[in-house]
Amino acid sequence: MNGAQKVDKRKVEINKFSLIFNKLGIYVVVLLLIVAGVILSGGQFFSASNIQSILEASALIGMVSAGLMFVVYSGNMNDMSIPMTMAMAGMLTVQFINLGFIPALLIGIASGALIGFINGLMIGKFRAHPIIWSWGFNLLLSGIVRVVWQGKQLYADTVAKPTEFAQRAANTFYAISRTYLTSFISLMAVVMIVMFVIAWFIHSKTSFGQKLKIIGTNYDVAKFSGINCTKVLITAYMICGVCAATGGIFFSALRKTSSYENGMGYDFSCLTTVLLGGVQLCGGKGSVIGAFGGVLAYSILNNILSWIGLDTYSKYLVQGIVFLFIVWLNTYSNRKLGKA
Amino acid sequence: MKKILGILLVMAVLLCNVALASNLDDSKAMFDEAVATLMTTDNHPMLAPGVTFDVPEAVGTYEELEKLEDTNPDKWHYYEYLDWDTSADATFPESPADGAKGKHVICIVHGAHAWTTCYSEAFQAACEAVGMTCDIYDPNWDQSTQDGYIDQAINEQPDAIVLIPLSADHAAQQFKKITDAGIPAFCSNTLPEASAMNFIRAYTGPNDWYQMRVLANQLGEDLGGKGGVAYITHNVGGSPYYARCFGPMSELGSKYPEIEHLDIQSPGFEASAVKQVVSDWITKYGDKLNAIVLADDSDQAIGAAEACKAAGRDDIIIVAAGISKQGAELIQSGDLSACSYQSCQGDAGLAVRTVAEFFNGEDIARVSFIGTDIINAENVESFLPCQW
Repeated sequence: MNGAQKVDKRKVEINKFSLIFNKLGIYVVVLLLIVAGVILSGGQFFSASNIQSILEASALIGMVSAGLMFVVYSGNMNDMSIPMTMAMAGMLTVQFINLGFIPALLIGIASGALIGFINGLMIGKFRAHPIIWSWGFNLLLSGIVRVVWQGKQLYADTVAKPTEFAQRAANTFYAISRTYLTSFISLMAVVMIVMFVIAWFIHSKTSFGQKLKIIGTNYDVAKFSGINCTKVLITAYMICGVCAATGGIFFSALRKTSSYENGMGYDFSCLTTVLLGGVQLCGGKGSVIGAFGGVLAYSILNNILSWIGLDTYSKYLVQGIVFLFIVWLNTYSNRKLGKA
Repeated sequence: MKKILGILLVMAVLLCNVALASNLDDSKAMFDEAVATLMTTDNHPMLAPGVTFDVPEAVGTYEELEKLEDTNPDKWHYYEYLDWDTSADATFPESPADGAKGKHVICIVHGAHAWTTCYSEAFQAACEAVGMTCDIYDPNWDQSTQDGYIDQAINEQPDAIVLIPLSADHAAQQFKKITDAGIPAFCSNTLPEASAMNFIRAYTGPNDWYQMRVLANQLGEDLGGKGGVAYITHNVGGSPYYARCFGPMSELGSKYPEIEHLDIQSPGFEASAVKQVVSDWITKYGDKLNAIVLADDSDQAIGAAEACKAAGRDDIIIVAAGISKQGAELIQSGDLSACSYQSCQGDAGLAVRTVAEFFNGEDIARVSFIGTDIINAENVESFLPCQW
């Protein structure tokens, strides 16, 4: 009897590295990237122009990621309609520029909210598959944009009537992506940071955020606990839509034209930053602060690769390796701590 | 009875000949009228004659030239010229030489884009002006869909097919299929691989290499023959990638050896991505960065101009391939030094002109290019409003 007893030799102590990484998450990587940047740039990493470059590069992708984080966190993986949400918002803002800048802006943002509402309704209420539905909806929106505007590009100054009011609205529209609040912080970067702060508040300090966590962790438990899952998911998708629309409007303003191709690829690049930030595809795990870190890591890595002077192919290679490493690190630390 | 039948037959033949001759005369008259009156939206002749170039002799085989430096123009011979073996040409369908009027053409473009919309509208307008009808198929950037449209077009038996191939490598198969079906095949806009020319009755389109070399010469002069130049490319691998990056680089390399080539990057066509690359260049190279060559005068030019502006570097000379509305505005504001004129409507017009000339029984060049110009602050007004 005594001889048959086995001693469990498996490690039970918590791996310190895993604990640190799990606490600080992506910011460990951001810190490492900053150190690498300082070394490789010969001390110019913290120059105003370089900080400006990093923030500028983060701005658009950050705005959209702040909203997408809610969809991923809800366990619905990705919102494939992001590209056309961005494009549609830009098109509508320009189309209605004669009403004035603010009304046109609100119409553009409202279009994102409406798209998010439809997505949320179909996925939350009718349980449509989130990827298939949002991908199909993206195609539908693409068709609508192409039919309505005949595949043409819209220019705010051309659409605007030759009145001072309309032309001023068009100029204001163009200016939003070209305004600097200090010598190196642009309006776009500030809007992105404000959006992350609001997203953090909604996610961490409201009952909606708590409900979203339960839905993301286990939809059935949330449903039988009396949570109105449809309402929560509609809200999550509407936040995503509004953020994508805001990004789309800034995108159009920056390139001085709206067309159906605006926002192409943002669905996956933003998903990459959200996942880098530690938000998990299965839902219920991650944070807004982590997602912001993912955006920073994405931009700083690009910045460093430019410093090294890698060609485009090698950049893709290094980006792929670094991103896979970060995802592995996230998974590893979660497993070690029994969180996954 | 036999006599009557004979007379009727002779009369029918005569009537046919008269009708054909009349159609040819009508077609030529319509063609001349269209060439004289049809204008692009920026007020240039849409059906202007094409420009042809003699292909210089290559100084080596493809494999030998690949070993040369990127700054050596000889390296790019097989990329720049459609230098194909004419002895392997397929048997092309003969021109009926009975006039373009009434002929039906199917044009298969590459995919939905504002440029394509502009091209398609111009193609339709040009066809109408010379008396032809046309259908335009859009495969939306999908190779298999484009192949499917080629089969569909062959089944419809049009008088000619104009194709913008999605891929240079795949073009030979596509054009072989059309030519084998006995339908005259014309290639427009995108340069196919040289061997595809064995199955193409005529290629028409922009001469990216030439216009970028002209632009590079302008840049070399503006730089006073020295300085640092960096390049933002088109999508990697396509013909514009080579033409718009290595065209100017090899031109500057051979004419201005003191010019240093700092970097080549391919961040795509998103203004914010280009802005980051250029901002990083400015921080990294500082005063060594004196000029930037762009493959696109819209989003890429906006990104580059915004980066220079944000860094207070208005001394950096930016040139680009164009011309878009954004590019024209950047030239007017002084942010863009110059860009090359590549007329979208002229591109469509030259394709239609070549097809019409073919049906009118005229000799057509196997390869002809649309005209080009360098647009700068002094002449930009004459290229407005932009076509798309």
